[in-house]
Amino acid sequence: MEPTAGDLTDPLINHADGQLFLHEAFKIIVEEVLCKGTDVKEKVCEWREPEELARLLDLELREKGEPQENLLQRVRDVAKYSIKTSHPRFFNQQFAGVDYHSLAGRFLSEALNTNLFTYEVAPVFVLMEAEVLRGLRALVGWTEGDGLFCPGGSTSNMYAMNLARYRLYPEVKSQGLWSLPQLTVFTSPESHYSVKKGAAFMGFGMDNVILVKGAVPFLVSCTSGTTVQGAFDPLDRIANVCDKHKLWLHVDAAWGGSVLFSKKHSHLMKGVHRANSVAWNPHKMLVAGLQCSVLLLKDTTDLLKKCHCANATYLFQQDKFYDVNLDIGDKTVQCSRKVDCLKLWLMWKAVGSAGLEQRVDKAFLHARYVVDQMKKRDGFQLLRDVSSHLNQPEFVNVCFWFIPPSLRGKEKNPDYQNRLAKVAPVIKERMMKQGTMMVGYQPLGDRVNFFRITILSPLVSHKDMDFFLDEIERLGNDL
Amino acid sequence: MASSTETHIKGKMQHFSSHNDPLDRPPLDFAATESFLQQSMTMILEDAVKKATDVRQKVCEWHSPEELKELLDLELRDSGEPEARILERCRDAIRYSVKTTHPHFFNQLYAGLEPYSLVASFITDALKPSLYTYEMSPVFTLMENAVLRKLIQIVGWEEGGDGLFNAGGSMSNMYAMNLARYRNFPEIKELGNSAAPRLAVFTSQECHYSISKAAALMGIGTKNVFVVPSDKKGKMIPSALEEQIESLKSEGGVPFMVNATAGTTVLGAFDPIDEIADVCEKYKLWLHVDACWGGAVLMSNKHKLLMKGIHRVDSVAWNPHKMLMACLQCSAFLVRDKTRLLQRCHSARASYLFQQDKFYDVSYDTGDKSVQCSRKPDAFKFWLMWKALGTSELEQRVDRALAMARYLADEITKREGFRLLMEPEYANVCFWYIPPSLRDLPDGPVLQEKLHNVAPVVKERMMKKGSMMVGYQPHRGQANFFRMVVISPQVSRQDMDFVLDEIHSLGKDL
Repeated sequence: MEPTAGDLTDPLINHADGQLFLHEAFKIIVEEVLCKGTDVKEKVCEWREPEELARLLDLELREKGEPQENLLQRVRDVAKYSIKTSHPRFFNQQFAGVDYHSLAGRFLSEALNTNLFTYEVAPVFVLMEAEVLRGLRALVGWTEGDGLFCPGGSTSNMYAMNLARYRLYPEVKSQGLWSLPQLTVFTSPESHYSVKKGAAFMGFGMDNVILVKGAVPFLVSCTSGTTVQGAFDPLDRIANVCDKHKLWLHVDAAWGGSVLFSKKHSHLMKGVHRANSVAWNPHKMLVAGLQCSVLLLKDTTDLLKKCHCANATYLFQQDKFYDVNLDIGDKTVQCSRKVDCLKLWLMWKAVGSAGLEQRVDKAFLHARYVVDQMKKRDGFQLLRDVSSHLNQPEFVNVCFWFIPPSLRGKEKNPDYQNRLAKVAPVIKERMMKQGTMMVGYQPLGDRVNFFRITILSPLVSHKDMDFFLDEIERLGNDL
Repeated sequence: MASSTETHIKGKMQHFSSHNDPLDRPPLDFAATESFLQQSMTMILEDAVKKATDVRQKVCEWHSPEELKELLDLELRDSGEPEARILERCRDAIRYSVKTTHPHFFNQLYAGLEPYSLVASFITDALKPSLYTYEMSPVFTLMENAVLRKLIQIVGWEEGGDGLFNAGGSMSNMYAMNLARYRNFPEIKELGNSAAPRLAVFTSQECHYSISKAAALMGIGTKNVFVVPSDKKGKMIPSALEEQIESLKSEGGVPFMVNATAGTTVLGAFDPIDEIADVCEKYKLWLHVDACWGGAVLMSNKHKLLMKGIHRVDSVAWNPHKMLMACLQCSAFLVRDKTRLLQRCHSARASYLFQQDKFYDVSYDTGDKSVQCSRKPDAFKFWLMWKALGTSELEQRVDRALAMARYLADEITKREGFRLLMEPEYANVCFWYIPPSLRDLPDGPVLQEKLHNVAPVVKERMMKKGSMMVGYQPHRGQANFFRMVVISPQVSRQDMDFVLDEIHSLGKDL
């Protein structure tokens, strides 16, 4: 039936209902996710098999809606069965913990629902993003430059590749790669897989990430803080090579970039100011909350905009009543872009650079503590690679095998490696089903499954480190 | 509740006393900061939600960039600040931000507030999961699957399909291009574009600019994006498409994809999908439909005919964060494929994330389908609101938005000084406001030139007054015109009347 004009007279929705729901749901979020989710007496995860979980969640989307009580219960269920990534015993990924100022910034960003393409729609955040980027560039050692927030470090790495390519061959934007020589990217075997994914996506081909005879190198992507071992490539020496051969030097500091806040540890990235671009994810070690990923550029020739712009007239009109250089949307490959700078800015304002420095330094201390404790216990064997002569990890990744009693001293047995490879997966399964903690494991090259603990959360203490070691023993002693 | 009050840290979280072993110091605990969080949420609910949607408040509080910089005190310093100051900063950020949820915000292809979606966003932010593996995000992995299955059902792919949620529609369009390229020339993944002949994409002149950005990023080149003319209603002309394909082939080029748009950005036009599908079938081209804006019509029995033929296409981009009002970002990419094409095209099989010896079924680890690593569970924002409202309510909203656009178009036609660009097919209503001083001028370049200067001034005035926000743009050589976008169920007839009254009020002296 045709809706009559009368149907359009009143708003269709009732704001009061929605606001009530927000209020009630927030209470649940505070209780279930923030309080319980950071409490060591509660579980890190509530494991369920996929089929069972699907049933519990009642996922089906139906014709009719539901009353608020149902929905509030659903909020509770989501919280219950989700991983508590802020829990003091969550060590599974390169992010953890919670900072309540950045959390408030995240809630605020969501509520405002701002789209960061033009100054007219996002006045506060256009200016804020610029200031945060300036602050981060200063830590890299650049007094000028460019950059932006990306929806993840993988995108930042892709942008760097795109800019390097464009700088060398600006015609690639319109003509594509078809008539260009084969371009290659240099990176280390320990680099993040986004370099390869980016190369495939952008038409270089995964095989052209590493040296190929007869090809034209145009970019070196090195890593400050590799994913698994937390290693830092020697930037100064790599920069020498790049200068000599006129290659774009990109530093994937998505994980390790935060050392730049620390006077004690920034030497790990000595030489970074010589790079052309830096990717850095504050949502990792600085605890800003997903997503918070920046790409910083040394360039001052508006390369970012020239490389990406499409000059859409419905968005980037040139006859606006304010300085249209503030419409930064054409610098990006995205159209709609979320505000990811507020969470970092608010937190930085709250704790200051000094506070962020302390956070970084503390993470290093925790890592050292864990390593020291491991050395005192039987059964914990560190991967040696990143250790300095003091056998300390370079960063905050601690990679180790747990050798159950039954395997100790049996290294010479022919099936030792096979048996060792099975240990971590079983311990992982047990810890998840019991919900006591979460730690990641992986193989690497010819080394069988080992654990990787990354310690960065401001919520952990040495008791959690002790617990972690005790728990690995408890879960794995019978293997 | 959290740990005991003996470990309560007063005030700032960065206050670590330095004389003890830092590892002995108590870690942060929730009790210490709960009050800050409660206060900030109260403020968010009051200022960013309640007031922002109140028609009696301003849509925006305009300040020049220099003024605003001073007001915000953006500089990042060494030392921290007390919580009261941080709360003030939150208040300022709200105050000087544009209220995109305001009933008189019509500037973009999204608007309004969806509280159930917002709650889902809050949960997501509190949990901060990353959607690459089942172990990390069990709930959200299943939810994304459920939402994608439902959307695929609505699109009409009976045999099912695949997909994922992306960081924006631009990215979804890029994925389509990548899959189309990969399906035709899988060796490109390893060897690069040089393993294939020069490829070409076809799209309409009204398409979104992300197609062009995609071609540039992916090494295809914007020159190899061929633009097919549209008719007066903004729809791609299928016979012109076929002509261009033939022409390119005769020159030795290799077409591999056609991008059709369901709901163009400016005019809200729908390309004729059925006829375009005929062409694509004939030439064996991948047909992608950018339905980021217009996909919502599929929720409406009355209007879904606008996308007739959608079940025949290879991929669809659809942004629930637009007409359906899920919070930003919420962009779905759907592909009609059961051969794990997404996975094969994008995978890098990183062993630190996608171990094959996990204790659960690793096909639930969806991360390798994506070009991203960490990925936010955006589908949840849509799932929770869908549960809350039900399909029929979503349908009602779409129908109402289009009826409202219809009403506005009728009013424009009735009013002196307003001229409709074209009859709206969707929720975009494009029109000129002609101030009295120009009404006697005949149609021609003089009128066009003077008219071109009207909208920017009216826009400046409305923003400085803060009464509403409506976009304008030039298009296809025509003078600047307004583009009203009707979305939110919170707007009613009075708001449409208000827009026209206000434009007249702001522009009548020009």
